[in-house]
Amino acid sequence: MKVAYWPGCVSRGFTPELHGSMAKVAPLLDIELVELDRGNCCGAGVIAEHNQELADTLNARTFALAQQVEGAELMMNICSTCQGAQTECQERLDANAQYRAHVNETLSSDGLTYEKGLTNKNFLWLLVEEIGLDTLASKVRRPLTNLKVGPFYGCYIVRPRNRLGIDDEHPRDHYMERLIEALGGTVIEYAGMRKCCGFPIITMNKDASLKQAGTHLGDAMDAEADCLVTPCPLCHLNLDLQQPLAAKVVARKLEMPVLHLPQLVGLALGLDPKDLGLSRHVVKPTSVIDWSTSVVASAA
Amino acid sequence: MSSTTTAPRSSVPQAFKLRVRRYDPESGQAAYWDEHEIELEGHRSVLEGILQAKNRFDGSIGIRCSCRQAICGSCGVRINGEPALACHTHLDEAIKSAKDGVIEIEPMGNMPVIKDLIVDMDAVHWKKVRRVTPWLIAKQPVPEREYIVDRESMVDVTQTMACIQCGACVSDCLAMEVDPGFIGPAALAKAYRFVGDPRDDARHVRLNDLSQDPQGIYDCTHCFKCVEACPKDVNPMGQIMRLRRIAGSDEQIVDVNNGHRHEEAFTTLIRDYGLLHEAELLPRSYGGDSWFGKFHPAAGKELLSSLPAIVKAVVKGKVSPTKAIFGHKIAKRDLDSVKRIYERVEGKPQRYELNLYIVGEDE
Amino acid sequence: MPEHDVLIIGAGLAGQRAALAAAQAGASVAIMSKVHPVRSHSVAAAGGINAAISLDDDWRSHAFDTVKGSDFLGDQDAIEVMCSEAPGEVMHLEHMGVTFHRNEKGEMDLRAFGGASMKRTAYVADITGQALLHVLYEQLMKHHEQVERYEEWFTTSLLIDDAGRCVGVIARDVRSGRMESFLAKNVILACGGAGQAYKPTTNGLIVTGDGIALAYRAGAPLMDMEMVQYHPTCLVESGILITEGARGEGAHLLNANGERFMEKSAPNKMELASRDVVSRAEQIEINEGRGVGPNKAGIYLDVTVVPRKRTLEALREIVNLGRDFAGVDITREPIMIRPGQHYIMGGVKTDIDGRTPIDGLYAAGEVACVSVHGGNRLGANSLLDTLIFGRRAGEHAAARSASMPMPALNTVSRVQADEAGIDAIVRREKGGRRVSEIKDELGETMNRYAAVFRDEQGLQSARETVARLKEEAGSAWIDDRGTVFNQDVLGALELSYMLDCAEAIVLGAIERKESRGAQFRTDYAERDDENWLKHINITATADGPKVSYSPVNITQWEPEERKY
Repeated sequence: MKVAYWPGCVSRGFTPELHGSMAKVAPLLDIELVELDRGNCCGAGVIAEHNQELADTLNARTFALAQQVEGAELMMNICSTCQGAQTECQERLDANAQYRAHVNETLSSDGLTYEKGLTNKNFLWLLVEEIGLDTLASKVRRPLTNLKVGPFYGCYIVRPRNRLGIDDEHPRDHYMERLIEALGGTVIEYAGMRKCCGFPIITMNKDASLKQAGTHLGDAMDAEADCLVTPCPLCHLNLDLQQPLAAKVVARKLEMPVLHLPQLVGLALGLDPKDLGLSRHVVKPTSVIDWSTSVVASAA
Repeated sequence: MSSTTTAPRSSVPQAFKLRVRRYDPESGQAAYWDEHEIELEGHRSVLEGILQAKNRFDGSIGIRCSCRQAICGSCGVRINGEPALACHTHLDEAIKSAKDGVIEIEPMGNMPVIKDLIVDMDAVHWKKVRRVTPWLIAKQPVPEREYIVDRESMVDVTQTMACIQCGACVSDCLAMEVDPGFIGPAALAKAYRFVGDPRDDARHVRLNDLSQDPQGIYDCTHCFKCVEACPKDVNPMGQIMRLRRIAGSDEQIVDVNNGHRHEEAFTTLIRDYGLLHEAELLPRSYGGDSWFGKFHPAAGKELLSSLPAIVKAVVKGKVSPTKAIFGHKIAKRDLDSVKRIYERVEGKPQRYELNLYIVGEDE
Repeated sequence: MPEHDVLIIGAGLAGQRAALAAAQAGASVAIMSKVHPVRSHSVAAAGGINAAISLDDDWRSHAFDTVKGSDFLGDQDAIEVMCSEAPGEVMHLEHMGVTFHRNEKGEMDLRAFGGASMKRTAYVADITGQALLHVLYEQLMKHHEQVERYEEWFTTSLLIDDAGRCVGVIARDVRSGRMESFLAKNVILACGGAGQAYKPTTNGLIVTGDGIALAYRAGAPLMDMEMVQYHPTCLVESGILITEGARGEGAHLLNANGERFMEKSAPNKMELASRDVVSRAEQIEINEGRGVGPNKAGIYLDVTVVPRKRTLEALREIVNLGRDFAGVDITREPIMIRPGQHYIMGGVKTDIDGRTPIDGLYAAGEVACVSVHGGNRLGANSLLDTLIFGRRAGEHAAARSASMPMPALNTVSRVQADEAGIDAIVRREKGGRRVSEIKDELGETMNRYAAVFRDEQGLQSARETVARLKEEAGSAWIDDRGTVFNQDVLGALELSYMLDCAEAIVLGAIERKESRGAQFRTDYAERDDENWLKHINITATADGPKVSYSPVNITQWEPEERKY
């Protein structure tokens, strides 16, 4: 399937391994990525905090660009925060025709118009709802046997449920568990899996921020996870990049690799850990690499 | 509870198992679980289930409750780990999120338990409410008749007025979990009720107060837990963001957490690059105009402590040194287009804000 | 032992308003409530508050509507006080911060309500009670130095001294179980009605007639107790209230044939006739087989005729209630309702300053009977009643306190007696019935025999049942043996309060051999001004309840036929 692909900022900035692994994984799943390289930052809720109309208009611009991609079935993102921030803006744009017209008026000088009703799905949702976990499972070359994986969703992709379309038919706040199982792995549930990583207040209350990250990482260690997986690169920054600092704040040793969602999928689809950028993490995913080596060894 | 279906409801009672967290402070024993099987129609509430257990099997189960219609705010609890009003949660909804076919009911979090499902709201929730000067400081002179104010403004503050002080948002506030001193969602929503009220004379003072408190409006982690928990659509986090917006953008208040600077930094970065430039965000957030520019004096230490993370990212090959310094940006014509949006929207004499609570959704 | 000039029992609208008024008058004030003040049942009042604030309105018109609504049983001097002071009170509340809905000019908007000759109901969407209650509580927090708050203290009895004066109360700290006596120069009862004596009821579980029973036991007369209001629009299953504001905004009532049957009994006011009239009309439709839904036990309330946008803004709460408690989107389809117990017009007899015949004891709000509601209360007059008479009681009690010494009384034995009474309940063997069973039977009995339509036979049977239940309550057992938050034992005390109220209601209904307001006797179907244009008072004596009468105060409106 062809999608208007919105990679977000961080996947092309501080977590390039996310963008890279997505590019590697897509063809294996017959996803054609048409990158929205003209799109702009979603604002991460911060621009909305400054000026809501500005955030709405900026996102309407990206949406309008997505709607111009010919043959694309939908817009896909790879960042929980983009998903949440964009959906919030879209909610307002879709709810009120007058407001939509008002925002489109601002966009008009660039020949852009946002039309109500864009479908914008995170890669996670797309895997479950568009590709299907059965199809995905059939493509698995290296099942995640014996790999104990803890999901870390990121707030923006699980709350609020109504806005994000989470309901009985679309239990999107449980897709990660299903996905890990479909890839052959073992799901590790732990207290922090749907909590906040702390990133939004890292510059405002560093202690509280790192305490959040550290607590969740510690909980995952106590639950004996080999690694975490997250669809959110901002969570990744606090959980991986800041892990050494978080360890100091919670005063315990932390050694918890955190994978991006496409990396985990890529591993199961048989890609080389190196190609997926696993070596670029601050916390070396030794357990995961060892695991993949052992799988390769036993296969040999 | 958000379902708007009008499918016929079953009038046949069915059995539900309830697992209730019990704690008796007089027993000297730790808290424990207690199970009861009750029989009610699926659309009846968890509260009705608890009351049936209380009336039939064990009258000592402690729970505050009164109105049974989600207006008195007494019966805040956690159901299957999530905060809710017991009277506002159907049994057949609750059973769906039950882990093992048993509906689990616990006291709310972030507040000390007094007995069973009863928590000490005064020690936490009300204390925080009292912190925000929770009464109108009326503009003078007080008119003879009513204050003449915009119709929309009264509808707007009625959203926060509709808070029933049940504590569900406080129960699971993730910021409060790691920082108990955070003023928190309910009290800050209450603060908006006055900040947004055109009859109040202390807008700036209130906002300044909440900005200079390190555990004030800039201590919220933006996790949406309160938005999800609220049974009355008060949208506490949304109100906190509005407090920030008014404090920072309208009242030009510089807060003690660097929150406003961070927000300005973020916003101007997107104007300048179209995309987020993480490395540049830090110095700008700390009051400088770049790594090579001048910093807010107090920010130096904070900034330096963030350096290792950046350096690590560069060393790890996550980011090339060039990218770390110069960032990535979108093509010029797109950047121009983004800048035009900034100019047009920010150039308006007054900030416009669509409030769906006021205007509603189109048919 | 805590001492206060004015001690208020109950922290709903009447209690909080009384506290603020007394504090403002300079008295040392305390307010005590068995629940946190914002949990008080005033919070559930939805539709609005009446006041002739419109420039083309006149308080006399409001007063006449109220007199007519009361079926001429209301005391007109009290009604004049309430209606003439209403505009000032509502403006005072607005100045305090109540977020009253505005019109396009920015002035307070007014909506239509039952029995009113013009739009005079100020409102905050359909959460007016909540908005008022929370704003008053804001003021209590503001004036915390002037008003002491005893939150979650349960009053077990009034302290009456040898001279028959009320000098304080005995109460139990719900949290610790500790009993304590409180001395006060004046006590104001403001603890609401007794709806839980009925099942179902719109009233919260805390509305158990505590104040009515405490005063009754202390020897104060109860007045108009037979006048029990059935609200016309309650959800069929749960009894949850759907605000009259819905009809105020234009909603229709329909029977199974899709007919607006109100045209038969109220051709002019239709759905906006007074509540007793509408509830009776609905009950007739149901009784005659034109009801809707299972067992044809309901009536359709059709809100879809109100513009959807208006409903979503001005009736938000019942949109939610419909969705969450009945599974119905009221903006798209009619919702099934029926009459349900809602309010007690009667209560502790007071004068226009809230004074009961017991020295030092005041009452205000639903616990009291001034009487401004007479045989039937108009919608949106209850909030007004609580505020006007709460304030007046507070002011009067404060003024009285200024010129009197703090009473002296050795309360040790009284506290011990109440403590012993509670211990006895806690220690009871599991022999008789459970408290909850007795309460259920009481509620069902009242709802069957002391409801919209009544007759001698049913009422006599209710009287016997209530008497038996009183017996059984004496040996009813509970589970909880603890002291911390022992809600079980408080439930037993509440049951005894409700039984006292029920006794008075049934006695009053048996006594009044006519049909007036909410009392409709199928065996005495006409209003009989010649014999029954008078209040019925019930007083507890050593020989049981005693009935007496008092005249209705008529100032300017002679009784006439009541038509809507």
